[in-house]
Amino acid sequence: MPLRVDPEENEMCALKGVTDWRRKRVLEIGCGEGRLTGRLAQLGALVSATDPDAQLIRAARRKLLQRFAKQIHYAVGKAERIDHPSESFDIVVFAWAL
Amino acid sequence: MVHALHEARRVLRPDGLLVDLRPVAVHRRVGVMQAERYRPLGVMRETFDNDRAADRAVTEVEREGLFKAEGRTVFDCNRTMDSLDEFQEWLADFVKLGQQPSHDWLVRRVKRALDETRGKARVVVSGPLVLRVLRKQEAPSPNPPLRPIAEKRGG
Repeated sequence: MPLRVDPEENEMCALKGVTDWRRKRVLEIGCGEGRLTGRLAQLGALVSATDPDAQLIRAARRKLLQRFAKQIHYAVGKAERIDHPSESFDIVVFAWAL
Repeated sequence: MVHALHEARRVLRPDGLLVDLRPVAVHRRVGVMQAERYRPLGVMRETFDNDRAADRAVTEVEREGLFKAEGRTVFDCNRTMDSLDEFQEWLADFVKLGQQPSHDWLVRRVKRALDETRGKARVVVSGPLVLRVLRKQEAPSPNPPLRPIAEKRGG
């Protein structure tokens, strides 16, 4: 079995307590290989996920599950210069990125 | 960091939420688990400079009136790994990304513990995460409205 993060799913439980994520437009900053991104998609969010590291974004795209392909979009990007128009997201998530 | 928070605010719709998820600034515990028995091996020696800077940045945008804190949850987050290689790989990334000190002493302890169990134990790294929720506020007006000056009467 490979590395498992949060097998008890405490993180998922905490995320569920934030809001109803279904159909919410979410920008995730610092997505890495997309571990949290998958969880946000599982909660029903439409996620634009960014990371400054192109290698990590390539890995995230490789790992992207087919069932989330329409919900998740990965792109290389920096938190200091977000390549999206103003007021285009319902939620911004800093995933270990601040 | 403050600039990143300003950018986040720009792309948020009015009343949108900012979620800040990251480890609590406490040292992670490392141990091995075999047959549901946990054996502690050591406590990591992370530095928390980045965490403190992030806290300051969040406090600053709250003080500016750009965001308002709505909630905070702390929960345990474990990582389990089946081999020394996986642990070393995770540790190498962790040390590199967070500019953390070397933990070779801990690798040696984990190796010894795994050798003793003939690879039947799993490595467990534990530490709490904090999830903060902040709501976007309307930007405070740079120039507060002028109050009319009351006329003096009489005199």
